[in-house]
Amino acid sequence: MADAAIHGQEHEDTRGFFTRWFMSTNHKDIGILYLFASGIVGFIAVAFTVYMRMELMEPGVQYMCLEGARFTAAAAGEVCTPNGHLWNVLITYHGVLMMFFVVIPALFGGFGNYFMPLQIGAPDMAFPRMNNLSFWMFIAGVALGIASILAPGGNDQLGSGVGWVLYPPLSTNEGGMSMDLAIFAVHVSGASSILGAINMITTFLNMRAPGMTLHKVPLFAWSIFVTSWLILLALPVLAGAITMLLMDRNFGFSFFDPAGGGDPVLYQHILWFFGHPEVYIIILPGFGLISHIIATFSRKPIFGYLPMVYAMVAIGVLGFVVWAHHMYTVGMSLTQQSYFMLATMVIAVPTGVKIFSWIATMWGGSVEFKTPMLWAFGFLFLFTVGGVTGIVLSQAGIDRAYHDTYYVVAHFHYVMSLGAVFCIFAGIYFYIGKMSGRQYPEWAGKLHFWMMFIGANLTFFPQHFLGRQGMPRRYIDYPEAFAYWNYVSSIGAFLSFASFLFFIGIIAYTLLAGRRVTENNYWNEYADTLEWTLPSPPPEHTFEQLPKQEDWDKQHAH
Amino acid sequence: MPVEWLIKPETASEISGAASFEAGDAPLAEAHLWPYRSLPRRGFVLFIAITVALISVPLISVLGTPVLWGVLPFLAITVGGVWLAIERSYKDGAIVEELRVWSDHIALIRHDPRKAMQEWSANAYWADVHMHETKGPVPHYVTLKGSDREVEIGAFLSEDERKTLYRDVLASLRIARKSNA
Repeated sequence: MADAAIHGQEHEDTRGFFTRWFMSTNHKDIGILYLFASGIVGFIAVAFTVYMRMELMEPGVQYMCLEGARFTAAAAGEVCTPNGHLWNVLITYHGVLMMFFVVIPALFGGFGNYFMPLQIGAPDMAFPRMNNLSFWMFIAGVALGIASILAPGGNDQLGSGVGWVLYPPLSTNEGGMSMDLAIFAVHVSGASSILGAINMITTFLNMRAPGMTLHKVPLFAWSIFVTSWLILLALPVLAGAITMLLMDRNFGFSFFDPAGGGDPVLYQHILWFFGHPEVYIIILPGFGLISHIIATFSRKPIFGYLPMVYAMVAIGVLGFVVWAHHMYTVGMSLTQQSYFMLATMVIAVPTGVKIFSWIATMWGGSVEFKTPMLWAFGFLFLFTVGGVTGIVLSQAGIDRAYHDTYYVVAHFHYVMSLGAVFCIFAGIYFYIGKMSGRQYPEWAGKLHFWMMFIGANLTFFPQHFLGRQGMPRRYIDYPEAFAYWNYVSSIGAFLSFASFLFFIGIIAYTLLAGRRVTENNYWNEYADTLEWTLPSPPPEHTFEQLPKQEDWDKQHAH
Repeated sequence: MPVEWLIKPETASEISGAASFEAGDAPLAEAHLWPYRSLPRRGFVLFIAITVALISVPLISVLGTPVLWGVLPFLAITVGGVWLAIERSYKDGAIVEELRVWSDHIALIRHDPRKAMQEWSANAYWADVHMHETKGPVPHYVTLKGSDREVEIGAFLSEDERKTLYRDVLASLRIARKSNA
């Protein structure tokens, strides 16, 4: 029998630095670790793009020379033989790092770990030690990824230049061990995400506070659940696909080699069966954050809670049946193409429900343009732009013209870079006071927003024009005709990069010297989820006893 | 609410005469307590069913090719993994405390999936129930005292549930004493 323990409760945090940050099983600490780690990897991935935009600023190759990569343009007399491999390596790792090691860890790992258990009133994740394992596997994956950049690869140079999708036969023929390391990196990060997803699903399903039925769970917690589900369904397929790549490369199998009876197009099918849900995995937690931010700064409850929930579920489910719209040109039958076209366009319906519900939330509200709201606004507008070009690209006929042009690059950067990344920044400004106990300077947050908003649009909007002019993706050089908009695009990229550096400064200032936050809820009463009932920053242990329903249930039944 | 009175103390009071533990009578009151879990079993079945249905979709495109065998094991491992994880989570919460009250005896049994069964019993006449409003590990911590030992009951319940539990246990002890007289 559990003998009674009657004494004052002390929760003194006696953990040392190493114990707290390296052996942590606390969901809040792990969330913070994820945010910092993905920020660092994000910096690497962004640095690659800056170098690429430097190269693309002018026609001809000035920086990525076989004679040696340089940071100042080659002078008129100097010889510069274009190093296509370096270029290919940069686009590959920009993609791999951003897709697997930056955006998912930040939104799902970082915000998901920190706030999902708080919003549902759970004391921690269902399996705290597994949570620690997930994080360190993610770090191991990052290490493998970096090792892959620096290991001997194709063309007798370092790194692999095959594109983040790792299509065979390119990936199976790429020399060196770099490609194998990249495959391991994706493997380990996939395993980490699957473990994380299982943990989140169990927590969400089985550890909600009493009375919190599925139709009363806050939208962010819902978005994390749907995301976990997508990860659970999509990533094993990827793991299978790249395992087969590994076998083709090293053990003489021919899953994807026509010479041995295999089929490289099958790889594309299963890659995109993972790849399309992947983009929703990236954006859905952002949807959740944006819902809370818009409701808070419009001083209104979110419009249409239930449609918002089911729109997310619908986006998730539809995401699994549209994969082949990434590969209209591989020779599918007309019927297949028509199906994938129609299914793709159907996704605009639940997405539209969400966009209009956010607008309806603001309608008649008392809208306050604090920094997080600016980012949410930016997200709303730019994600819609990216969504509209998505509808254009969804049409098989039109896609024949746009396939592998800069139009596609512009489209997916509008939904990813300007969608997901704006969500991350919105979330950071919304929650940094809660997480750190210190508030950012409002002017700095706004300046960061405007720099990034202008910079990112300047980068990607002209790429629509380039795509329409017919400029293909993934090339180190281009003819004179494309020079004008490439120049503009590069200027935008530099401005965005400057804003990112400024952001690092803001974070450093906030964490070290920001104004202390004293209230639990430093926004207003429409930030009404459970994390706002806790002190800022929350204590080490939260909700060890079940929260009361009146703490979180502010509304009538839906 | 994860407290169930299988034999309610109120209805038991109408039963005339003593319920003697010695004589092997049925108890006057019996309650089962367990920690709250938010996923009903039906929800678990539905979740696994939808997961399996959706995860099978990509198999359509690789049916009849060797690639099927490259993908299938990973899908199986994942479904198995989430299944085991949720089962494990149920088990983590599978603590049951059983309280039985007779006129001359009170017994509390605690089943924990990863520990030996724990027992406490005392004479119902002398046993006592306490509620520690602040000093316990949780507010309104309920304990039972008797046979020189103090044990906790329902520490995993929510605060309001513990308050109700205290009232109900108190009532059942009162009935036990009355039926003894």
